[in-house]
Amino acid sequence: MKNRIKELRAKYNLTQEELARMVGARRETIVFLEKGKYNPSLELAYKIAKSLKVKIDELFIFDN
Amino acid sequence: MDKRKLILITIAALSVPAIILFYSLFAFSGKDSNLGIVISLAVLLIVVVFMVFFIIKRYKSIRDNLPAEDERSRKVLVNAAAKSFYVSLYWLLAIGWFEDSLADLFGINQLTASQAAGLAIAGMALLFFSFWLYYDKKGKLL
Repeated sequence: MKNRIKELRAKYNLTQEELARMVGARRETIVFLEKGKYNPSLELAYKIAKSLKVKIDELFIFDN
Repeated sequence: MDKRKLILITIAALSVPAIILFYSLFAFSGKDSNLGIVISLAVLLIVVVFMVFFIIKRYKSIRDNLPAEDERSRKVLVNAAAKSFYVSLYWLLAIGWFEDSLADLFGINQLTASQAAGLAIAGMALLFFSFWLYYDKKGKLL
């Protein structure tokens, strides 16, 4: 599953650490999410989408 | 996780190597072979290295006002525990099958039950630490 976290984080001038603090996750989790090496829970996906002011389906793209 | 909880975890974690150390000193002192104490010290070393690594990681997160653990770190622990348990079954089988060869390797007649148990625990600890390190640094958790 691809995502636009890095792109949207850059748009709002947020560091990985700031985003991690906003969603209550560790910085490594954001790093692995951006690399596509971790699929978040629905709760974390929702928190990230809310922090980046987009809907979940705009943030995560299913890649068949 | 606040600092008080981290201190409590550190104390609890320090008690594990302390118990292993005292156990090995009392259980194996005066025995013919030093294998028991060598195995105990190996387990102790693995536990201490893992613990130091684990605590430093959590301390850094708390220092930066980030949670000490989150859903990914919990998933890493669960995956490492599950994989190490599965692989350790083979390790236990190997100890049983190659008992004589292991005894020859260590220069003793036969492995005692506590030496075999020590080898098993050392292997399990090492496997868990290796899997945890792999999942934490490289592993894909999809």
